[in-house]
Amino acid sequence: MISGYAGDGVLFTGNVLGKILKRQGWEVVTYRDFPSNIRGEATNYTIRASLEKIHGRGDAIDVLMAFDCDAILRHIKSLAPGGVILCEGEATETLRPAERKGKTFHKFPMRELARKNFKNEIYKNSILLGGLCYILNLDFQVIEKIISEVFLERKGEEVVENNIEAVNLGCEQAKMIIEDQERHNLIERPDKGRIFLSGNETIAFGALAAGCRFFAAYPICPASEIWQWLVHVFPDFNGLVVQAEDEIAAINMALGASYAGVRSMTSTSGPGASLMMEGFSLAGMAEIPVVIAHVQRAGPSTGLPTKSEQSDLNMWVFGSHGDFPRIVLSPGTIEELFEFTVTAFNLADKYQCPVIILTEQNYGQNFYTVDNFDLSKVHIDRAMLLSQEELLKKKDYKRYELTSDGISPRAIPSLKNGVHLVESVEHNERGYRDEDPAVRVRMMQKRMKKLKSASRDLIPPKFWGTEEASIGVIGFGSTVSPISEAMGHLAEQGIPSKYLQIRTLWPFPAKKTERFMTSCEHVFVVENNYSGQLSALIQGQGIECSKVIKVTKYSGHTFRPVEISSAILKALKR
Amino acid sequence: MREDEYHLDDPTWCRGCGLFAVFASLKKAAASLNLSPEDMAVITGIGCHGRFNNYFRAYGFHGLHGRPLPVATGVKLANKGLSVLVISGDGDAYSIGLGHFIHSVRRNVNLTHIVVNNSVYALTEGQTSPTSQQGFVSISTPAGSKEMPLDGLVLALASGAKFVSRGFSGNPKQLTSLLKAAMTHDGYSLLEVLSPCVTHNKVNTYKWFQSKIYDVDRDPEYDSRNRSRALALFQNQEKLPVGLIFREKGSSFDDLSLPGQIPIAFTDLKVEADRLNKLLEKFE
Repeated sequence: MISGYAGDGVLFTGNVLGKILKRQGWEVVTYRDFPSNIRGEATNYTIRASLEKIHGRGDAIDVLMAFDCDAILRHIKSLAPGGVILCEGEATETLRPAERKGKTFHKFPMRELARKNFKNEIYKNSILLGGLCYILNLDFQVIEKIISEVFLERKGEEVVENNIEAVNLGCEQAKMIIEDQERHNLIERPDKGRIFLSGNETIAFGALAAGCRFFAAYPICPASEIWQWLVHVFPDFNGLVVQAEDEIAAINMALGASYAGVRSMTSTSGPGASLMMEGFSLAGMAEIPVVIAHVQRAGPSTGLPTKSEQSDLNMWVFGSHGDFPRIVLSPGTIEELFEFTVTAFNLADKYQCPVIILTEQNYGQNFYTVDNFDLSKVHIDRAMLLSQEELLKKKDYKRYELTSDGISPRAIPSLKNGVHLVESVEHNERGYRDEDPAVRVRMMQKRMKKLKSASRDLIPPKFWGTEEASIGVIGFGSTVSPISEAMGHLAEQGIPSKYLQIRTLWPFPAKKTERFMTSCEHVFVVENNYSGQLSALIQGQGIECSKVIKVTKYSGHTFRPVEISSAILKALKR
Repeated sequence: MREDEYHLDDPTWCRGCGLFAVFASLKKAAASLNLSPEDMAVITGIGCHGRFNNYFRAYGFHGLHGRPLPVATGVKLANKGLSVLVISGDGDAYSIGLGHFIHSVRRNVNLTHIVVNNSVYALTEGQTSPTSQQGFVSISTPAGSKEMPLDGLVLALASGAKFVSRGFSGNPKQLTSLLKAAMTHDGYSLLEVLSPCVTHNKVNTYKWFQSKIYDVDRDPEYDSRNRSRALALFQNQEKLPVGLIFREKGSSFDDLSLPGQIPIAFTDLKVEADRLNKLLEKFE
């Protein structure tokens, strides 16, 4: 972990280190914990590297690089036995002996060295990187290459040279103080066909690959990176990003563009999603496809804008006025984030309703190594969107034609023979306002029927673990990582377990969930929120829930695996 | 085009409603501009004007109260070949949708925005609106409105609008010519229509408007290219300026931001995997 204050360059340094480790061929996951503030508050950047596939930050820290002594106080509890701390200062006397035990402290004067050698404190970051490179035994050539990639274009040759010199300096400094047994030998492995990117970048890439060509949004943490990636690439693909005046406008712009025939998207979080509720209901009523990527932050209200939570499940499953069809997807890995984004656009077009990609800050703003996305699996299916030829063959086109599956053929403006109205008011098959109770009932049933028709296309829950186990865990979203590792902890103690990862939150896979729960003696529903929104959703399906034990966390941080395994062990002892 | 090409149904607004003139003028304007109903998209808000789509034949989107401008923005940017009209009311444009109004002016997407201003919430049975005069007595302000009215044209002019005009339902001929000018303007164009509500507004009647109107189109001295002159018109609280108040040329958002010749809606979505993979190289 690299820890300092906002403005220290922690995020930048962490990003570079992550990339170095990725190029060394390791599986890398970051955990960026930063304040909703540009300068002056604590910023902590955990980088985890592993030989095996990982999806989250794990249990403990092996090496802590502290820009100041406060960082030590903040993180000493998370330090693994045998952990090493390198700190600008020496003020460790405030620590109790028990806290110090088994850990090594070194003074590592990054600032001082930077001032002395470069007359500029900014180089402390590369000095720190040099120190880490020595401890982790990283390949110096890889580091040089990445530093030049990062700085050459933006800052020029001199800055590149200075930074490389600073890395060397840090490395030499570390050599003098670090014992051999404190070092980790991260051997180099092949790095082929892999990328290192954030969840938000993944959603953006998925949207592009899925044929999304219109994106409107309002700036908000932690979702803006989706837009910031698309804004660069869309022009080359005849797509457009629009900065809306608020989230109300954003969703309405996306609906307008979608009505006109473009695969459209918006993204948001917390308060922005609340503003979108009105347009969400409009999409359901007017049967307009739209994809909404919601990167959850901790609420309520402004809450913790840069921290992770899973407390907006209710708002998309139950939110807004009236009954209307909606589909809520919950990707559990970065790979799924890509796949589900593509699926979301196909589902939206097919069922002509809003589709939500519900993820979390933890995925949106952290970086992960993944294999190159498999583009051969990307199929764009516009479903019932009519071509001009098809439309000309229609004798009497009706936008909201009643069909056996509730899905009506869709014409877009400018096509001949397709003039119609899309209506937010209750309407008949032609789209015209109609308050006849019989029409109302038929149209309501038509719209809601689409969800039944959709059930065959929805992404089923994923089963993990041992079929015969009596301990079951249920979760959604990015808890895949701590849950699967907690299952490993339990297995080490000879306790087999199994896990049902819910991947479509709505329509809820009630039958599969019930079957899973029936096969367990204990069911732990693990989620990053206060009230247990997933538990309540399960209960709302009429499933017998007496064996459910809620495991919740709402500190703004993801679970560490050990928090889940201890909660399970504690409950079992009772 | 013949006017009856756009006539879908006979309107059922109250006899004497100012909307009839808007309906008739729009049919005339569209016909004389030779726009086919297929190439027009009429986006409406909520209010009596929102029934427009039930009578006027064209592609239509009757969405939410206050939100027709962002919908129209999406429609136009998705298919720049469409002639996109927004019809909203004073509640729609100047109250619940005020933010969208100002930002649409700033954004300058090629839309024609008709604000049918009757200074009352008619569909909800007659509450005070943002353009109601101070002292206006209604079911929502039985002791008279304490708030000052706003003028959408002043807001538009102050926000940099490049086409600002006002018509009057009592003068359909001028309304038709203003509509044609607005619909052929490249960029956002505002046409407010002073439109009496015969049922819920007994103050701002046809007669009342006729006595207050100052028609700049009839003033040979008036220069509609001068923004400060246009703004100065509104200093005189006793007179209601109508006509082509201000017009200037400038690049629309569409011209500045649309990436290609083909409307986005007709982009071929088949993209070679190599092109996409190339983008992933940055993440290596």
